[in-house]
Amino acid sequence: MWANARELVRSVRDRIAGARPMRRVRFEQFGAIVQLAWPRALVFVDRAMARRVARSTGEPAAWRGRETELGDTVLSAPLEAHLQLTNQCSAGCTGCYTGASPQGAPHEWGLVEWKRAIDTLASAGVFHLALGGGESAILPWLGELASYARAKGLVPNLTTSGLDGLDSLVQIADRFGQINVSLDGLGATYAAVRGFDGFARADAAIRRLREHKREIGINTVVTRHNFSELDQIFAYAKERRLSEVELLRFKPAGRGARAYDELRCTADQHDRFLPTILAAAKRHRVRVKVDCSYTPMLAHHQPDRALLAELCVYGCTGGDLLIGAKPDGRITACSFAPPPPELVQIGKQQRPRVTELETYWTQPGAFGAFRTWRDDVAEPCASCEYHSLCRGGCKVVSAHVRGDASAPDPECPRVRAIEART
Amino acid sequence: MAQRRGRILAIKWGMNPNSSSLGVDVTFLLVGATALAIVTPIVGTWLRWRVNKPRADVK
Repeated sequence: MWANARELVRSVRDRIAGARPMRRVRFEQFGAIVQLAWPRALVFVDRAMARRVARSTGEPAAWRGRETELGDTVLSAPLEAHLQLTNQCSAGCTGCYTGASPQGAPHEWGLVEWKRAIDTLASAGVFHLALGGGESAILPWLGELASYARAKGLVPNLTTSGLDGLDSLVQIADRFGQINVSLDGLGATYAAVRGFDGFARADAAIRRLREHKREIGINTVVTRHNFSELDQIFAYAKERRLSEVELLRFKPAGRGARAYDELRCTADQHDRFLPTILAAAKRHRVRVKVDCSYTPMLAHHQPDRALLAELCVYGCTGGDLLIGAKPDGRITACSFAPPPPELVQIGKQQRPRVTELETYWTQPGAFGAFRTWRDDVAEPCASCEYHSLCRGGCKVVSAHVRGDASAPDPECPRVRAIEART
Repeated sequence: MAQRRGRILAIKWGMNPNSSSLGVDVTFLLVGATALAIVTPIVGTWLRWRVNKPRADVK
């Protein structure tokens, strides 16, 4: 007991001490975004509060126009960048959304190029990095890149399968804000979802990482095979003293496009998603996060719209709150989306790289359908009170099922119900 | 004339390690708007308290 108390006191002391130097403010048209190190949060404030917090003497360039509401316009830069550092991975998961392989992707960037990317992202005012793959833990320079990001003021976070590169990852775990291990089921369910039995190794990785770091969680891709096991997954997270469970909707990208019909949740499971996960989170007292594509399933239960907005719950945030980058640096709206077409305005034949973010970000037509949801809205989304938050749902699912990324999310319970009536 | 205090519009809690989508903490949905109504002013006070600390890195 005393050991736990000492750990708690030390943790609180370290967090308060660590919070002091780590604070950034980024001005936006609505006001500003303030990054806090403790509590770990991005706080969106209006202009009046921004003036007090930033102690700004003049009016920043972002405030030249009228003060808008949060969400009315695209941010000045993404909050976070998802960097797919490599497409190398030997796991061979059935539904891998990047189609990772032991060989990786052609023309993968190395440390030098990714450092340049971080320079660009830091200059743009990006706050967080989510590093993934493939399996990024096998990269010998991962630790150096994480340290570089920290030095530039960005917080690197990491997703790993836990299947490879664990020894080296443990040594550098403290450089990351949060590390989550992909765990799509317990025991035999892991194999049913991923196509091979890797549970024991993933579990061993979680235990070992947790011995070295508090901020360890799991990412679970929810499929029709593991939906009924969600409560046990939360129980597992509690037993392993993990900081969070992050639940991800199955996306039809990479090998996942072929496995989509077999693995995606049923309509009934999507309808029951929110009460199921909240009950599990409450029962086991574990924090739960959901990915942006689940917003239609949250809205189905008609939660307080203002509360969702205050919690920053948005549907498709690709090309706005987040961006992705492929292993060769090509920029994407999100990790599941293909690179956008080249823009004439940039005057280049190749697709934009993440090092060109600041040029590409403000181009008319940048990110295509990911940015046009405000104007391109059709029924039944147009009459939905949650549309400004949901933004039409997951565009990757729409593109796969409907052949049109701007079409309403076909798995949205409201869309489904209305279309069934007509 | 007194300066308007301003308001917090939204708070995105935690950090997102998931390299495929934006992870949002929805644990607050368990306790509803009341709990958030308590937490938000505390965060606001914390922000204002820090006005007296060294200047933030401003972009």
